[in-house]
Amino acid sequence: MTRPRRDPRAERASIQVAGEARPRFDRTARRTGSGRPRRDPRAERAGQRVAGESRPRYDLSQTVRFDAAVITEAQPKTAAVAPPKILVLENPAFLVAVVPDAPGGRLSSHDRQVLGAARALAGREGGVAILTLGPCEGVGPAGADRCLPLEAVEGYDPASQTARVAAALTALAARHVLFPESLDGGDLARRVAVRLGEPVFTNAEVVAANGLVRPAKGRRVEQRVAPGMLATVAPDAVAEYGGPPREARLLSVDGEAPTPSPQKNPKRIVSAARVPADPATVPLALAEFVVSAGNGLTDLDTFRQVVAALHATPGASRVLCDAGLMPRHTQVGASGTVLAATCYFALGISGAPQHLQGVAGCEHVVAVNTDLHAAMIERAGLAIVQDAQVVMPALLRLLEQEAGENA
Amino acid sequence: MKIVVLLSAGRHPVSGAPVLPRMEAQAIRIAAALGEAVGLHAGPDAEAVREALGLGLTHIEHIAVADGLDPVPALAARLAAMAPDLVLAGRRGQGGPESGIVPYALAEALDLLLIPDVVAVSGGPDTLTLDQSLGRGALRRVAVRGPVLATVHPDAAAPLAYAFGKARRGTIELVGAAAKATDVPEAVVEERPYRRRPKLVKGAPTGGSAAERLKAATGEGGSATKGRLLVEPDPEEAAREILAHLRQIGVLADASKSAK
Ligand SMILES: Cc1cc2nc3c(=O)[nH]c(=O)nc-3n(C[C@H](O)[C@H](O)[C@H](O)COP(=O)(O)OP(=O)(O)OC[C@H]3O[C@@H](n4cnc5c(N)ncnc54)[C@H](O)[C@@H]3O)c2cc1C
Ligand SMILES: Nc1ncnc2c1ncn2[C@@H]1O[C@H](COP(=O)(O)O)[C@@H](O)[C@H]1O
Repeated sequence: MTRPRRDPRAERASIQVAGEARPRFDRTARRTGSGRPRRDPRAERAGQRVAGESRPRYDLSQTVRFDAAVITEAQPKTAAVAPPKILVLENPAFLVAVVPDAPGGRLSSHDRQVLGAARALAGREGGVAILTLGPCEGVGPAGADRCLPLEAVEGYDPASQTARVAAALTALAARHVLFPESLDGGDLARRVAVRLGEPVFTNAEVVAANGLVRPAKGRRVEQRVAPGMLATVAPDAVAEYGGPPREARLLSVDGEAPTPSPQKNPKRIVSAARVPADPATVPLALAEFVVSAGNGLTDLDTFRQVVAALHATPGASRVLCDAGLMPRHTQVGASGTVLAATCYFALGISGAPQHLQGVAGCEHVVAVNTDLHAAMIERAGLAIVQDAQVVMPALLRLLEQEAGENA
Repeated sequence: MKIVVLLSAGRHPVSGAPVLPRMEAQAIRIAAALGEAVGLHAGPDAEAVREALGLGLTHIEHIAVADGLDPVPALAARLAAMAPDLVLAGRRGQGGPESGIVPYALAEALDLLLIPDVVAVSGGPDTLTLDQSLGRGALRRVAVRGPVLATVHPDAAAPLAYAFGKARRGTIELVGAAAKATDVPEAVVEERPYRRRPKLVKGAPTGGSAAERLKAATGEGGSATKGRLLVEPDPEEAAREILAHLRQIGVLADASKSAK
């Protein structure tokens, strides 16, 4: 029963790491003596970490001995590498059709939301069919089981476009048809509705198999109906489809041949031409790309040249508008205009909260400021700590040089 | 040129008081610039549209249609009799079902050409030029021949100022009160008080934490976290970086394209 007598010197000597000039000891090595391994709290904690998340999360129910095999290493790899399986729906019980805007052959985020809504209506048994005018990419990952490309109508001819879509919808015999409630989609939905003689449930904010809900009477009441044949879906109300990609099998329907447009008096539309927005005069709230000047700028003539060269809409911070250096209607911010621009380019603006409120909706922000700690620099996707007074002429030179090369 | 502006009985979105919908007031301004215009309203009470007289109309025709009946047959019958060159309506009503289907139903019933979301109209009786809004200030300029029905977009010019004297001098005339066989009740739908629903936060990951949703909502999530910071670069270098970034976003045309 006597415990063997310990010999600390020998134990120490046995864990000495060989081959180093300075004596080093590996204390994690299993002792022969007492038998109990030494705990390593760090390794235990690391072993409890749930893999694959940016924020650390720990599964405390899992107790890991430090000397047990590390199990977390292998886990995330298999999940990430496996290619997403394409879901195939052989015989859908019914179809939910979606007619997207698809400007330029690409689904807009509103179109994706409508596909998400259609997916919710289709449930497990139903299939989602997308009816595109002209080719459209990326419809499978957005949740379409079937894809029916129709021939695009050239020019602006809503009547024959309506005829084409209505004919395809009749041939498809979809149980529900969803449109985005956008300028084009809302227009097409109403045209198709009056042509088919069906009621259309517009601007639905909730889309579910047990009912559609839309606001009415100035948002004082909401109207609920069971899903009918035609409906339009409000923007930013329904989530996009988030599941695995779907098949988007190509469909073709009979009777899809473009019906000779039954217009009694043809050519009522003489001409239609697109007039792009003039960035210099478009109202700030509608502008796509705003270049804005702040108190850090002294040379406003160069600023105006930069704005013109970039084909942008001019904006300004309140300081400049108060000083009368820029017109009041260019003011961006809480007491000015709240922007809906895609890109905001701030020159010499500190980024006061009142100013940033006006920029909150902008997707991309570029800032030039001399102060590394300015709030605008923090907000920006591309932040440049430099004197705007020298960056502006450099921009102009570069643009001029590019124009010269291509002339 | 004969112009008809369709006037509906609107309700103020906040107070619920009777008010002329703004888009119809904008339609009156467009019509007044082109020539003499007549207002047309179908409904139980013409007082609801009296405000339009102060905003630029001198004469309104009122068709008595009982509450809860579809106004389209009555309007279609009257419009067919008037045979106007241009009919202007709001893009959506205000205070009612707000479905915007009435102009489409009228266009179908009368076989009229319908141009939606118009911000400006110019020209004469034979050829009209309509500027259609495509959003973000872009327009489509459509030239049309023959009678046309256009709906007005909120981006059109602001309504004229209200003039009390004109409102008193204007006249409202009751026409064709007997809409007999065409009585079609409006569809009845279940209504309940509006409930606000959480708005979808763009860019928030599905199933993300509250902190991630907050970041996405305040705009700190997307570009800011992946942001690039250049400290004291050479100005030329900075300019190149900026132009490359703007092109990558797609707000600036490519150098080769901009040159032509
Ligand atoms: C009730 C209220 C409402 C307001 N509403 C608004 C509003 O709607 N819109 C608005 O804009 N403001 C508004 N303000 C004002 C706001 O608080 C700020 O005062 C204002 O936005 C600051 O403008 P600024 O960034 O141009 O100027 P400053 O704060 O003076 O910042 C100038 C910036 O330029 C930088 N700089 C200096 N020299 C250079 C250089 N050579 N090159 C590059 N950068 C340089 C500086 O580092 C600094 O960051 C409001 C204020 C109040 C109280
Ligand atoms: N009862 C009505 N009388 C005349 N015009 C109407 C009537 N109802 C609707 N309108 C017109 O149709 C537009 C769209 O209305 P709504 O379809 O109700 O959203 C309105 O802006 C009006 O111009």
